[in-house]
Amino acid sequence: MIAREETLRDLMARSQQGDKQAYSVLLEQCSLWLSRFFRQKIAADAVDDLVQDTLISLHRKRASYDPARPFLPWLAAIARYRWVDRLRQTYRHATSELQDVHGTESHEDVVGAQISIARLLDQIPAGQAEAIRLVKIDGLSVAEACTKSGQSEPLIKVNIHRGLKRLTMLIESE
Amino acid sequence: MRDFQIQQLVDDLEPVAALKPNRSMAASLAIMTAVLVVIMLWLGPRNDIMIGKPDTMFLLRGGTLLLLGLANAYGVLAMASPSVGRHGNGWKIALAAALLFPLAALIVALSVSPADAMAATETGLQCLRMSVMGGLATAIPMVLHLRRGAPTSPERAGWLTGLAAGGLGAFAYSFHCPDNSIIYIGFWYSLAVGVCAVSGRLVVPRLIRW
Repeated sequence: MIAREETLRDLMARSQQGDKQAYSVLLEQCSLWLSRFFRQKIAADAVDDLVQDTLISLHRKRASYDPARPFLPWLAAIARYRWVDRLRQTYRHATSELQDVHGTESHEDVVGAQISIARLLDQIPAGQAEAIRLVKIDGLSVAEACTKSGQSEPLIKVNIHRGLKRLTMLIESE
Repeated sequence: MRDFQIQQLVDDLEPVAALKPNRSMAASLAIMTAVLVVIMLWLGPRNDIMIGKPDTMFLLRGGTLLLLGLANAYGVLAMASPSVGRHGNGWKIALAAALLFPLAALIVALSVSPADAMAATETGLQCLRMSVMGGLATAIPMVLHLRRGAPTSPERAGWLTGLAAGGLGAFAYSFHCPDNSIIYIGFWYSLAVGVCAVSGRLVVPRLIRW
């Protein structure tokens, strides 16, 4: 079970003061939360790498957390940043490996739905989101994406480029 | 594998002080004040300030530039501590208000001769040079703050840093600038802020990417 927002906030505040025990618990909890967060829109084999990248970013940028503010929106912003960064890199995986683990409406699920990465894709134009999904998430080649989407090859490339730029601008949006 | 990674991070933990945006803001304002004092000592203050009766246009221009600088500086410093769901649109309002100057200048310029509109080029170039140099100095604390933080939109942070620097730098220079013409202000001050904004967009993202 993943700790609640108040607990995570307290653990992070103590971690900023150098409390290693609190930090260890925090990282374990964040690792679980991030695994669920990323599993919504990335293949299982890529989740571990992305969780690790995000934990390292959390470690390097821990001074940027303001203990007076909620913790999960801060962590989600860092996670989204790492996710968009990862989308820029080329990688392939099977669509069938995508999973949706948000089956029930717990407190964490509601928070997760509000700040999920899937929500980001919903906020950019449909053509750009489709191009990113097909090529960067589902792992199709540009030619395959053309056939599937009906978009021309140059349009797919332009849509990916513009879509990723737009995603970066939307990282802190709800 | 992940347990190993977590243990490494835990072993590496040192206490850190949370970012203090107010401290960086104070540093930028201190630099702006220092630039203002240097300009006053070097080039001298405006006559209306000397006699204690500041012109209305000086007050409007200075107030707008200061608001533009402060709103953007506040916005960019907040960007160092990211958070999903945060809305910081104050800088957009300040920018929209500041855009009234070039817009008014354009409308007025249409009714005068091109020679009149382009008068005072020499002092305009000085305005541009001094505002940009002063502005770049005020940007240093903002960039250092962003480097310690985790800005998720480096390009936007670059624009905002430039706008903030341009606003503060031009505000400092405005205490010397004797010109009250709307055409002059709309063109040269907008150019100074624009140059700072473009410079911020081009340079800052490379310095703050993480």
